[in-house]
Amino acid sequence: MKREIITIDGFGMSFGDVSVIDNLSFTVKRGETFGLLGSNGSGKTTTLRSLLGIYVPTRGKLFVDGRPYHVDGGVKLGYLPEERGLYKKENVIDVMTYFGELKGMPRQAAHDGSMKFLERVDLADKAKTRLDKLSGGQQQKVQLGVTILDEPELLILDEPTKGFDPVNRKLLMDIIEEHQARGATVIFVSHQMEEVERLCDRIILLKDGKAAAYGTVKEVRKKFDGKSLDQIFLEVYGQKAERDNA
Amino acid sequence: MHNLGTVFRFEVARTLKKKSFWIVSLLFPIGIGAIAGVIYFSNKATSDASKDTAKQQFSFEIFDESHEVAPEIVKAFKGKEVVSVEQGVSDVEGGKVDAFFHYPKDISKDHVKVYGKDVGLFDNSRYESVAKLLLSQSVAATVSTNVSTVLSDKVNVDSTTYKDGKTYDGFQEMIVPAVFLVLFYIMIATFGNQMLNATTEEKENRVIEMILTTIETRALIVGKIFSLIVLGFIQMLIVLTPVVVGYIFLHDKLSLPSFDLSHLVFNWPRIGIGFLLFAVSFIMFTGLLVAIGAAAPTAKEAGSFFGVVMILIFGPLYAVTLFVSSPDSGIVQFLSYFPFTAPIPLLLRNAVGNLEYWQAGISLVILVVTAAIVMALGIRAFRYGALEYSRRLTLKEILGRK
Repeated sequence: MKREIITIDGFGMSFGDVSVIDNLSFTVKRGETFGLLGSNGSGKTTTLRSLLGIYVPTRGKLFVDGRPYHVDGGVKLGYLPEERGLYKKENVIDVMTYFGELKGMPRQAAHDGSMKFLERVDLADKAKTRLDKLSGGQQQKVQLGVTILDEPELLILDEPTKGFDPVNRKLLMDIIEEHQARGATVIFVSHQMEEVERLCDRIILLKDGKAAAYGTVKEVRKKFDGKSLDQIFLEVYGQKAERDNA
Repeated sequence: MHNLGTVFRFEVARTLKKKSFWIVSLLFPIGIGAIAGVIYFSNKATSDASKDTAKQQFSFEIFDESHEVAPEIVKAFKGKEVVSVEQGVSDVEGGKVDAFFHYPKDISKDHVKVYGKDVGLFDNSRYESVAKLLLSQSVAATVSTNVSTVLSDKVNVDSTTYKDGKTYDGFQEMIVPAVFLVLFYIMIATFGNQMLNATTEEKENRVIEMILTTIETRALIVGKIFSLIVLGFIQMLIVLTPVVVGYIFLHDKLSLPSFDLSHLVFNWPRIGIGFLLFAVSFIMFTGLLVAIGAAAPTAKEAGSFFGVVMILIFGPLYAVTLFVSSPDSGIVQFLSYFPFTAPIPLLLRNAVGNLEYWQAGISLVILVVTAAIVMALGIRAFRYGALEYSRRLTLKEILGRK
């Protein structure tokens, strides 16, 4: 088994004449928690979509477990995309069970697992409620449940805390830590640097589709004279702001 | 494709739970029932009124210049003859009698004149009925029963035709194959919109990224198409069952024509061709509507293409007589072989028996190939149009992606 579960090598992506990712390379090791950081439009979501085959990359290789990602490729994936949504007119439990089955779980196991998750996030009484009758935060919890239902070995969370209040943010962090503890690989996209520092083993900071920093949190901080990730973020993007203003 | 069954079950179950499915499905039989009810009560009211009218006695006089009305008939109806038109009209005006009928000398050219006391819009017709009855009964009494039957156009005819030395009833033989034409029409008309919107939900609800990373696109689209086909059949049963049951139990009361099914002729090759044409056409149009829905960003956007597809499918109905009378004409040949217009002409021609086996074979191949192409396009459109939330994909883009 290879040490790297994700390998991105020379990845480039253009939409028409606009280049959004340029010669990006990095790896994610099996079992680590990896932070994918950058401001809006820096190419984080494009990288994830290309990695998962939703976008076709213009250049380079993007591998999951040594080959381009395929739903039947043998890697149990849990992906919480930036664009949130589920079948809004269906019941919570029906949708969760459906996705559990699509991920290969037996129907009963998918149902039981869904109920267990709903109890944990205080939504058990909403199991038979239509998704569009839930609040935005509740829908997000359900989507998180769908993502982790089958205990995936690769968990990709694109801004998972977006829209959560502090209580639910804490709950989410606890859940992610549990998956870390059982050995899952977690790729975590966030603008909350304290969360990144708390959870991530290694990070990559994207700026204009290129790696502005890459390594363990310790290595990156050392490279930037021991500054916090917040300060590093501001420094990297502050330069851009200064240049834009000039 | 191992998730095909899961997608199929989920799609069927959630559609059957939707109120809109049942409303649309039941609307047709309810509409038919409402129309039948109106017809029934209208017939009943008319019949009751006619009986009442017949029972009603009214006094009348006649002046017969044609000499066709028999005095004994007039007497049997308790009427009287007068010597002039003026007298009869005057008697009605003065309220002495209820009605006066003037039969002119030449009935073939001139009108019979009826004068009567107003008894309401509906009941006034009783005067005309009696005036005609006096004449018809008088004339019938002067000729034989046969002549009377011929003159009243009540002759019954039983025809026997032969084909290849055997008795052949073209009408009875076309009924079963024609059922497939009716089924195709009902299923597309009632279910087409749902087919069109089958894939737009994933886009509109932003669930597409989770779907694409969880299930193979082909399994999703094929699962949806299978579920639509099964749902179409379920809807057809919902639509037709009350109609058939209603016909069986109420056709006498509704004055609907009776069909003697014991004389049905089962031409199995034609029934088989009809079924295959129906099934392949239905799959092809399901695939086409799903492909359009997959290429469009929203249900509203997809809906703008629905009319075009409906014109292609049902437009040939305007040339229905041509398909029956001139099957070899250029326009019929074109409409029969162009896949998007072919179903109605082919099903109709098969029903009336002017579609040769080799023509049916070629048509089926064209339809199967087209169905496969539109399904493949639908899968590509869904796959590559996944994140196009605000614009529709062009055919060039669908075909051009690697």
